Amino acid sequence: MLSCHPTLDILTEYSAASLPLAHALAVSVHLDQCSQCREQVRRLNMVGAEMLASHTETASQAHMAKLKSNVLAAITQAQPDAETEVREGMRYVPESLRRFIPKGFNALNWIHLTPSFKLATLSNEMGGVQIALSRVKPGARLPSHRHTGNEITVVLKGAFSDEDGLYREGDFICRDQSHKHQPRVTKDAECICLIVLDSPIEFTGWMTRLLNPIMRYFHPSSALNSG
Amino acid sequence: MNTVSETSADTSLVDAITQVATARDTRALERLFDHYAPRIRAFCLAAQPGANLMADDIAQEVMIRIWNKAHLYNPATASLNTWIFTIARNARIDYMRKNGRYQSDIDPEDFWSEMADENADPFREAQQQRDEERIRDGLSQLPNEQQQVLSKVYLEGKSHSEASQELGLPLGTVKSRVRLALHKLSVIIKR
Repeated sequence: MLSCHPTLDILTEYSAASLPLAHALAVSVHLDQCSQCREQVRRLNMVGAEMLASHTETASQAHMAKLKSNVLAAITQAQPDAETEVREGMRYVPESLRRFIPKGFNALNWIHLTPSFKLATLSNEMGGVQIALSRVKPGARLPSHRHTGNEITVVLKGAFSDEDGLYREGDFICRDQSHKHQPRVTKDAECICLIVLDSPIEFTGWMTRLLNPIMRYFHPSSALNSG
Repeated sequence: MNTVSETSADTSLVDAITQVATARDTRALERLFDHYAPRIRAFCLAAQPGANLMADDIAQEVMIRIWNKAHLYNPATASLNTWIFTIARNARIDYMRKNGRYQSDIDPEDFWSEMADENADPFREAQQQRDEERIRDGLSQLPNEQQQVLSKVYLEGKSHSEASQELGLPLGTVKSRVRLALHKLSVIIKR
């Protein structure tokens, strides 16, 4: 069964903040669009809150007084946080990605892998996780490929389908290495997805195999790219 | 000696956060400090036993964030306990990120935020209090093995697979204990 929401296990780890940051980023992009999962996380947060509230740590009164006076000294200089404003051209850019996409999708450094398929790396994380956007023209078929590690895809704009179904804006798709597929973008619009890759994608078509060294080169787990 | 006995964010604490927001009342912040700072320290020490300096830094940081964000607190979206839990959780992650455990370009503040909920309504607040009371009572009645995994996950901040290694249990067992516990606390929403 394929699910377009993160599993309860993933949402629990998200709520407890034990999910790797790159995965948590993907979950938060989904949460932007999914009120059901937001409600689930809200309830999971209550569990953490009650657990935090029921444990205290005794330190000496003098020690706590010292910490309190530090805080009181620090806040005299502090300014209240301002609410952030939304800029033009950012309509499909979820709030949690704005640090990586400050000027909209078009301003990113896109690498053309095929005439209809481009990739832009947002971040190469320590530990070899790559965060990237894929951008595919309307109606285009992606080269057949296999995942060499876990991959999370979140649809930001447009829609695509594969053997298992149709995925629309906000859908959260988790694949593991056993999965080989050939996605196709719907004809009406281009499709932009956030992808979080634990290790590089591998193309399985005879021509597109030529892309594999490129995929490996741009993936942070590659020795080539570490210099 | 100041002992903190009550576990709920009672109305006087909610009054305190309002006074911080509207009147920039430092005495109100002191009341919040007295209640929450020892809890935030305990929350940090659970993740890194013995790391007193870290616990002190984070407790101070959280209190400063509370001061700076007080005007963003909305009782209709989250209880004070939940709001402060999310701030403490984010501050703990942020501290670990800056100190090397999770080197990353990602700033957890960008998204592990206190979620704004557009569907918040006045009835929510009362419902929330009931949910919290139920969770609080439920937590104390969970079997030990379920309490143990929940505390690994929420207090120690361990992933399910880290918890399974530390407890010497199969991953599937950890996952099912967490789910069973969440089910008993009626936290899981029906889809």
